Amino acid sequence: MVATDLLVESVLNGLLLGGIYAVAALGLSLVFGIMDIVNLAHGHMLMVGAYVAIVLFTALGLTPIVGMVVAFAVLFVLGMALQRVVLERVVGEGMEQPIIVLFGLALILESLGRIVVGSDAQATEIGIPGDAISIAGATLSFPRVVTFVLSIALILGTWAFLKYTTTGLAIRATAQNSSAAQYMGVDTDNIYVLTLGIGTGLAGAAGALLSMLFPITPYVGWSYLLKAFAVVVLGGVGSVAGTLVGGLILGVSENVGVLYLGGGFRDIISFGIFVLVLLVRPHGLFGSSGGGE
Amino acid sequence: MSGLSGCTLLDGGGGGSETITIAATVPETGQFSSLGEAVKQGYELGVTLMDEELDQEVELLLSDDESDPEVVRQELQQMTSNNEVDMIWGSFSSLLVTAGSAYAENQGIPFLGAFFAYEGPHRNEGYEWTYSPFPKSRDVARSTSGLLDLIPEGERPSNVGIWEANSGWGEEQSDYWEETLSEAGYDVVLRETYQLGSEDFSSLISQSDSANVEILLSTPTPPGGITAVNQMQSNNWSPQVLKFVRAADPTAWWSALGETGAYACMCPGWVPGLTGGGNEGLWSAYRNEYGLDDNELIRSPVGGGYNVAQTALQAVEAADSTDPGELQSVLRSETFNTVIGEFGFEDNGLPAEGDLTAPTGQWWEGNQHTVYPDTDGTGAMDFRYPIPSWSER
Repeated sequence: MVATDLLVESVLNGLLLGGIYAVAALGLSLVFGIMDIVNLAHGHMLMVGAYVAIVLFTALGLTPIVGMVVAFAVLFVLGMALQRVVLERVVGEGMEQPIIVLFGLALILESLGRIVVGSDAQATEIGIPGDAISIAGATLSFPRVVTFVLSIALILGTWAFLKYTTTGLAIRATAQNSSAAQYMGVDTDNIYVLTLGIGTGLAGAAGALLSMLFPITPYVGWSYLLKAFAVVVLGGVGSVAGTLVGGLILGVSENVGVLYLGGGFRDIISFGIFVLVLLVRPHGLFGSSGGGE
Repeated sequence: MSGLSGCTLLDGGGGGSETITIAATVPETGQFSSLGEAVKQGYELGVTLMDEELDQEVELLLSDDESDPEVVRQELQQMTSNNEVDMIWGSFSSLLVTAGSAYAENQGIPFLGAFFAYEGPHRNEGYEWTYSPFPKSRDVARSTSGLLDLIPEGERPSNVGIWEANSGWGEEQSDYWEETLSEAGYDVVLRETYQLGSEDFSSLISQSDSANVEILLSTPTPPGGITAVNQMQSNNWSPQVLKFVRAADPTAWWSALGETGAYACMCPGWVPGLTGGGNEGLWSAYRNEYGLDDNELIRSPVGGGYNVAQTALQAVEAADSTDPGELQSVLRSETFNTVIGEFGFEDNGLPAEGDLTAPTGQWWEGNQHTVYPDTDGTGAMDFRYPIPSWSER
């Protein structure tokens, strides 16, 4: 029988972790929902963002929060360039081309990572100094609390951008019906460029957040891509709120599941949920068959 | 060294060559890379010793296995295809050593593997060519009990927590720890499995705290162990005694954690502080070849690698040949004396039960020191106990 305080601590830790899962998935969800592209390189872009933060921290001593902002900016630019230079030329040529291009990009990023930084895990996480926090008898790691707050800020910022800005409105219109949006004067090509920039930028920011808690290697991309997929399926494609809820559910399920079933079950729980949601509610908790917010 | 007197010089043996050729892989990249350089140094110093003692050229073919068992196999295949290999030496960790061993068994080439505590393959896979001059799981458990006995009885903690890696060795080592320490009167209050390669230890930390774990034992990978200690600190929990076998073996432990990694114990086969068995020669050779700063000690994997070469040297001397069958016969019958102690082998390649005392090391001021058994060698020190709370460090 698991003690109540242990369960409470496990749930709270799961929520904190789920916040980062949600950010990791948000970019994937937006790109999928708006552009109808499955970004198979999303996890590897997250890995690049993590290394940007690590390099800034180790070489220049810049705080992880600055690292997160820079990682977002770097990946934002890379994402826009990717869309403008590569993807734009293959979109519309069928479902396979973008997938093959992005799968290839993932492999290229992984190999480049191995060549540039080596295979070793960055053993020292760029932790944020601070004492553990006690809530309702549960002890929570300070870096986790900070990264959770940053995650929520990123998610709310993205939601507000989509909801309250003209560009956000154009993005949502493009997601709902790109032809109609074009007739209404929306430059959908630019919207796609911007969307991939935001999506990859969020991946970079998520990577920077993860580097504050966990070791990073050039190989972490696939693992986080799969977790992001689970969150997107759970929350519903293109839904910011769904992604947040999906991330939190995944984080809590993993942590509580591990408490009762053991650590060997962590991935089984993640992907068990993934399969279950696909079977029971294929559009996710907040998604609709049309996608979008 | 008993049983090896009266040796003559080699005749070149069944290898058909005047050069003894040894193939080995080490993890220069990947998850075990922080140990690769030290293992390599141990092998190279050992080969120099073999060259001197055997009056015959010894060629060491060494390549990076990228901490990947498949690469171990590929590299060994390439080396044995292009050379007349007389012996294979092992890499690091059960994961990689068993890959090399499987290849050697298939090829009928004598194989020596250290840094490999897992006993299961020796018992289950009918080893004929694999020999492991290294303390095994049962020895690690005995050593843990011996380490705890160093604490005065009135101060000795009793609650043991085991974080069991979900691997064959993880389960085997956990079984031995539970059995040995329970028999010695300790309470195993927690035994929880975790996914090898896991990066999130928060649940295990919470469970350990809740179960009042005082002695924490586990077999994580180096990155996993370092992450776990970082997370213990950020969750403001630590045990009174911490023994992370393998994770705390490399210098990466200290370079990543610094003082946060102090007090951690490990069981790496060899630790600075041991005496006899050629330890003095190892120190001298190391100083000459690589140099040592005033307060610097030799890294533990160097001794483990050197011990492999010493075993090989004594086997070749006793067999007076590099013929595989002759070497196998000698490995099964003779006694060997190396920097890790004196031991013989069982037919399945395990060091004979009870022969080896697994030395326990402890991190202190940037070095690994022998704390068990009690010795007076360079680098030995008294066991530091208990680990103070994070706020007092």
